[in-house]
Amino acid sequence: MKTFSVSHKTVIVVDHCPYMAESSRQQIECDMLTKSRAQGVIPLAPVSKSLWTCAVECSMEYLRILYDIYPARKLDMSAHRDILACTVLQVNYIVSDSEFHILNSWRQEDQSVQELMSALAAVGPPNPREDPECCSILHGLVAAVESLCKITEYQHESRTTLMDMAERVANRGRIICLTNAKSDTHVRMLEDCVLETIQEQNKLAAGSDRLMPIQQCELVLVHIYPQGDDTLVSDRPKKEISSVLNSEVHSVRAGRHLASKLNVLVQQHFDLASTTITNIPMKEEQHANTSANYDVELLHHRDAHIEFIKSGMHSIFVFDQCIPDCVCTGDLHMAGSTSRDSGLKETVTLKWCTPRTNSVELHYCTGAFRISPVDVNSRPSSCLTNFLLNGRSVLLEQPRKSGSKVISHMLSCHGGEIFLHTLNSTRSTLEDPPSISEGCGGRVTDYRITDFGEFMRENRLTPFPDMPVDAAGRAPFERAKAQLERHTRYWPMIISQTTIFNMQAVVPLANLIVKDSMTEDDLLTCQKTVYNLVDMERKNDPLPISTVGSRGKGPKRDEQYRIMWNELETLVKTHVGTSERHQQVLECISACRSKPPEEEERKKRGRKREDKEDKTEKNGKESEEKGWAPDSERLKGAIEREKEEQSESEVIKDSPDSPEPFNKKPRLATEELLSLEKSKGPVSLLSLWTSRITQANSRKHQEFAGRINSVNNKAELYQHLKDENGMDVHENGKATR
Amino acid sequence: MPTVVLMDASLSMTRPVSLEGSEEFQRKNLAVHGLTMLFEHMATNYRLEFTALVVFSSLWELMVPFTRDYNTLQVVLVTDGALGIGRGSLRHSLATMKQRGEDKKFPLPFPFPSKLYIMCISNAEELQATDAMDNLEQLLTLSGGEGHIFTMDGPLCLKSVQAMFGKLIDQAYTPFHAVLRCGNLASDVQVFPRPEPVLLDDEVDPVPKAVLTELEIVGFIEIGDIASPPVLSRHLVLPIAVNKEADEVGAGTTDDMEEDTSTNQMAGKSPNFCVLLHGSLKVEGMVALVQLGPDWYGMLYSQADSKKKSNLMMSLFEPGPEPLPWLGKISQLGPISDALENPYGEDDSKSPFPVQPKNKRSYAQNVTVWIKASGLQTDVQKILRNARKLPEKTQTFYKELNRLRKAALAFGFWELLKCVAELLERECTLLPDSAHPDAAFQLSHAAQQLKLASTGDSQYAAFEHNITPMLTDFSGGGGGADRM
Repeated sequence: MKTFSVSHKTVIVVDHCPYMAESSRQQIECDMLTKSRAQGVIPLAPVSKSLWTCAVECSMEYLRILYDIYPARKLDMSAHRDILACTVLQVNYIVSDSEFHILNSWRQEDQSVQELMSALAAVGPPNPREDPECCSILHGLVAAVESLCKITEYQHESRTTLMDMAERVANRGRIICLTNAKSDTHVRMLEDCVLETIQEQNKLAAGSDRLMPIQQCELVLVHIYPQGDDTLVSDRPKKEISSVLNSEVHSVRAGRHLASKLNVLVQQHFDLASTTITNIPMKEEQHANTSANYDVELLHHRDAHIEFIKSGMHSIFVFDQCIPDCVCTGDLHMAGSTSRDSGLKETVTLKWCTPRTNSVELHYCTGAFRISPVDVNSRPSSCLTNFLLNGRSVLLEQPRKSGSKVISHMLSCHGGEIFLHTLNSTRSTLEDPPSISEGCGGRVTDYRITDFGEFMRENRLTPFPDMPVDAAGRAPFERAKAQLERHTRYWPMIISQTTIFNMQAVVPLANLIVKDSMTEDDLLTCQKTVYNLVDMERKNDPLPISTVGSRGKGPKRDEQYRIMWNELETLVKTHVGTSERHQQVLECISACRSKPPEEEERKKRGRKREDKEDKTEKNGKESEEKGWAPDSERLKGAIEREKEEQSESEVIKDSPDSPEPFNKKPRLATEELLSLEKSKGPVSLLSLWTSRITQANSRKHQEFAGRINSVNNKAELYQHLKDENGMDVHENGKATR
Repeated sequence: MPTVVLMDASLSMTRPVSLEGSEEFQRKNLAVHGLTMLFEHMATNYRLEFTALVVFSSLWELMVPFTRDYNTLQVVLVTDGALGIGRGSLRHSLATMKQRGEDKKFPLPFPFPSKLYIMCISNAEELQATDAMDNLEQLLTLSGGEGHIFTMDGPLCLKSVQAMFGKLIDQAYTPFHAVLRCGNLASDVQVFPRPEPVLLDDEVDPVPKAVLTELEIVGFIEIGDIASPPVLSRHLVLPIAVNKEADEVGAGTTDDMEEDTSTNQMAGKSPNFCVLLHGSLKVEGMVALVQLGPDWYGMLYSQADSKKKSNLMMSLFEPGPEPLPWLGKISQLGPISDALENPYGEDDSKSPFPVQPKNKRSYAQNVTVWIKASGLQTDVQKILRNARKLPEKTQTFYKELNRLRKAALAFGFWELLKCVAELLERECTLLPDSAHPDAAFQLSHAAQQLKLASTGDSQYAAFEHNITPMLTDFSGGGGGADRM
């Protein structure tokens, strides 16, 4: 259905003239129970509906089905896509007697059966004593045309939003007129009147902002006559009256004939189709331990049958005669319109299937279509719908005489709405794919699966319908992405790449540091975490350092703590720009962590350099880092060197034996890099990760003693001579822990 | 989309191609060279494509069969465009197409969506000299028009056959590479089968939408909450080693292959985000919501094969801001940390999904439908059943009575109100001596109210008005318990 097809606007016009008060002569026995209860009581006379009652209840049924399958919805007019993406169907209900009464408007909030029921109650049945001369359906038809010219909220917004494409917003509509016509000539007169009114209104509309000329109008005249009468009006299929007006005439007896006619029409008008669920097991009220099988017919969009139509499985369509006393020959060939016109209804039968499915199974589903039961308050229907509304799902299979079972559909409820899901029943081109363990990263066995699971739970989504954008103008899903970004600034993927995430003691800090804003309490918790770590280090508690790949027992305890502190610093540094309090966490760590003696620093530097050399060799193969890693690696190296230098110069500035300070040139370069880094924001994950790997690698082999102690890759000879002299200065200068 | 390659093996394919100074080639050799190139490309870049090879001349022989049935197909027809003469030739078949019987229908169009690529081992001039081109074009139109006819440019040689098959590969078999991102975690991936652009059936804005090569995760949702959503298509998401030599067409020598294997082994050992994501999605029973483009989303999840194998799979939702009504608008889904309290509860006992629509559907709200007489009779009987159990059932009695009253007023069915009033009055007279005295009061009160409503008097026939139980000395002095 196109966005602005004739189905976008429907006007229902119901005749409210005195003759509609006439009885339909279909009698309903209300007095059912007395017969068995009290003999001698004269049963009450049966009641019968008027033509008006028949017309109103059938039109309400038409709308019930329509609103079940195409519910009215609030549109977000600010979203361009929203306007284009949804099907909006609107109905205007008009009653006609000596004048017209418009019972609702095009507005979305007026699109409800409840609202219309209330309005209809206020109108009441036709007054048989009203002067028939002043009453006419024409008042209503004229009003219907005028109403079609009125621009709907949706059309208006589409036009203003689309601007340059405004001319693509079309104005088409359908008028369903329920009346009691006098003759074929009378029908002709009604059609002419509608056409004339369209022409007049289109002229008016051309010069107005609030009106749109009608491009196409479909008139569906339903002539209702009492049972037992002969019809004075003949049926006529759709015919073009003019380029803007098509018209068709249906002559129907009041009562169930009218109901099934409107049921057929609603299917035609809104692309619906019927499915009958068969073999539904239901407990008998009287005998609770037995069950009988029932059938329930559902309507839904006809695309739910698209697989049958595509694959030419016409045999699946069953044709029921829905009007028992109408003589028809059942043409068992699938042909929608002809079979409908001949009074047959077609339905696809699908079998209730046990065992049922559970909700945590993800079916390959190619479509989901809202349903409406044909017989909404019959016992089988309400049993089925209540079963589904309680959150259970049912698989449906195609009835086959032999062969394998083909499950093609599923009924399932989401948020109080029942959907018919179409399941893929053809074989997939994706069968037997390689397992993920055979591809990249498939051999790695120590992924932090549980931690990432926890991460996913923290990054679950929830709807914020009332908060479209926050103070910073971000939509909720943008905030979700921003949170993912924050949470992954430092996130090692495997257990052996991390120490801090394997430590329960770090959890409080790790959880808080990723937050967008920290409270004073959060800050305190972080600081406590740090103090706790300091305490652990003092007590020499073991750390969960991975020994994977390293020879022997792995690094020594103090080395372990150094690695842990470095990693913690790395994590916190990525969040340091978030707020003042984040900054304070980093300061707390810097202040509390043990400062390794200069020796250590030198070692580290030496290793770093060597690792870098390693790196350049490896880059050929590990091309992932090729593009930008060396850059940030250099950056990071520079920052660290700078920092070390600062701390060194602080500590050893007085020492006569302090190593030669870095020459000015690299220092300048470092400053440049630093400012560059600031403008770039936090250090990227990849560079952090790379440095982690570098550190890990450095533990895997024993370093040449000379290089360990080297400065600028130059090993000083006869160091012991110096050490003897200068050692105590260092000892005094540093707080040893 | 599975591929069937149809290879022309008729005599005309053995015609030699004149080439100065080199060894002599037949057209068949050129075709084989082109197909080798295609298959090599598939082996390296399109590994999961299912392919079958059929050789035909006046008869046909299936050389390599499919192992399965599919509902879509890609057909690559390799021919020299010498269509032959007489019965059974394409020329003859096309000319006599209308005279075929039901049982011997022309095989095109196929009863499933398909694309037809015709690779001509001849150049355009050659084909246009006869009516071959017209016939091939007709064949393409018959198959539904999806596909293309390729011809060779310049002299018939290995180079031009390579160029032609290169074009086919570009059009139909280029792998879809993308970067899958979750914040700062990322992985290079191949999406297979490659997602084709989607054309929305949209009157106002009929522009095809293509999946972006940057796939960004928005957040995570439980499988039970996403609840088997309808999807357009499903695709494997395969992590790939990055910066692999840009696939040189046809450059698949043995050396390269070996190097390839070793790179793959290396890649297998370095951690990859896809594997981590897959593992956690599988363990937690969740899906990742992923953005595919502006207002277009999909989901990533672990798809388990029947065996122990499982894989990272991506399903594409229908483009649009609200592909699943039970999730609401995707742009309005935000992080749970923004909510005042955790919508999943502290112990994961609840869920913010499904999003409830404003109005209930008819089947969820006890609507009144009297299209069938039985519907009306059931409603009347419900009232009478409750009437006989007054005063215990006072509440349900009035509830059912008011439901009937409202519907009767809306449908203009005043006669029914009178009828039910009479039934209630008669019930009153039939009350046994043991009946509670309140029953009689309530029955006659209800009957009177219905009669008043049936006059249409606005004071009594207002739709919103409800008949309330009569306050009697017996009904607890008007205590709140029994009141509507």
